[in-house]
Amino acid sequence: MDFQGIHDHLRLINAPGLLRADEPRAANPEDKKDKGRGGDAYLVVEADALASFLETCRDDERLSFEILADLTAVDPGKDDEDFWMIVQLLSVTLRHRLAIKALVPKDPGQIPSSSAVYRAAQWHERECAEMFGIEFTGHPDPRNILLPDDWPGSPLRKDYEFPTEYRGISCE
Amino acid sequence: MAILEHAFEENLLTTKVDWLLNWAKLNSIWPMTFGLACCAIEMMAVGAAHHDIDRFGAGAFRATPRQADLMIVAGTVNFKMAERVKRLYDQMPHPKYVIAMGACATGGGPYHKFGYTVVKGVDRVIPVDIYIAGCPPRPEALLEGLMALQNKMRRTSIIRKPAQIA
Repeated sequence: MDFQGIHDHLRLINAPGLLRADEPRAANPEDKKDKGRGGDAYLVVEADALASFLETCRDDERLSFEILADLTAVDPGKDDEDFWMIVQLLSVTLRHRLAIKALVPKDPGQIPSSSAVYRAAQWHERECAEMFGIEFTGHPDPRNILLPDDWPGSPLRKDYEFPTEYRGISCE
Repeated sequence: MAILEHAFEENLLTTKVDWLLNWAKLNSIWPMTFGLACCAIEMMAVGAAHHDIDRFGAGAFRATPRQADLMIVAGTVNFKMAERVKRLYDQMPHPKYVIAMGACATGGGPYHKFGYTVVKGVDRVIPVDIYIAGCPPRPEALLEGLMALQNKMRRTSIIRKPAQIA
């Protein structure tokens, strides 16, 4: 199925948390400031319902997304109030993909864990947790995955300040 | 040894103690099997047939720090690894030597400014004898570094200076 078909089908079965679709579009030639939008088409989903939305995508026969190809986060800027959670799903049997976006408020920065739906999400969520400081509630193993356990701060946040020293080693 | 057999009378060989010890030491520098990043690929190339680090007696890569004389820090050292590097260095027996291979180990390299987890030079953690420039250095550069280390070892002395005796 193409993106439109997936979107229509999810509407039809009333998938939990589905807000809207966002598709790339050409620039408006009359408005010089409008540059249009490139990239992939994605679905915007409510953050709290992300896990059950993914479960629907996995279990529905006409979608059957077996693989969670990616789960990551983006900090769009210092002044933005939300992180973007980006999820990429892949169906090998039906040969289609889907990109999903959920807005997670930076304060308090909590989102229910999706690792019960896709076990592949465990490590991705651990990485998001240490890099952005997002808390995944219900995660079975919320340790750091790449950074040392006592690393200060969340490096991929736009307001991150580099440490000047770590365990006696100067970082200047 | 067939051509040398029965070729000499019983002989004595006179030499300097320093010279003999240094000669033995610098022709059998055993490095540790230890690679951190892309520089390690070049280090492996040095170990392979074309460049052949065995010509310098330094081809016996030891799988434990307890048998190694030389640590070639080949690659990016981050803070999580720095602790391990220090521990491995501490486990090596004296006399021990360190070569910082490539830009990362020398000063952070391309990660110097924005690599928040990269140690800006392995010499902030352990003492370094030889720095090799390059990103990564050519295999010849590592051999040049090894020869520089041999020259450095050649200058060491176990004999006390006359002033120290008094």
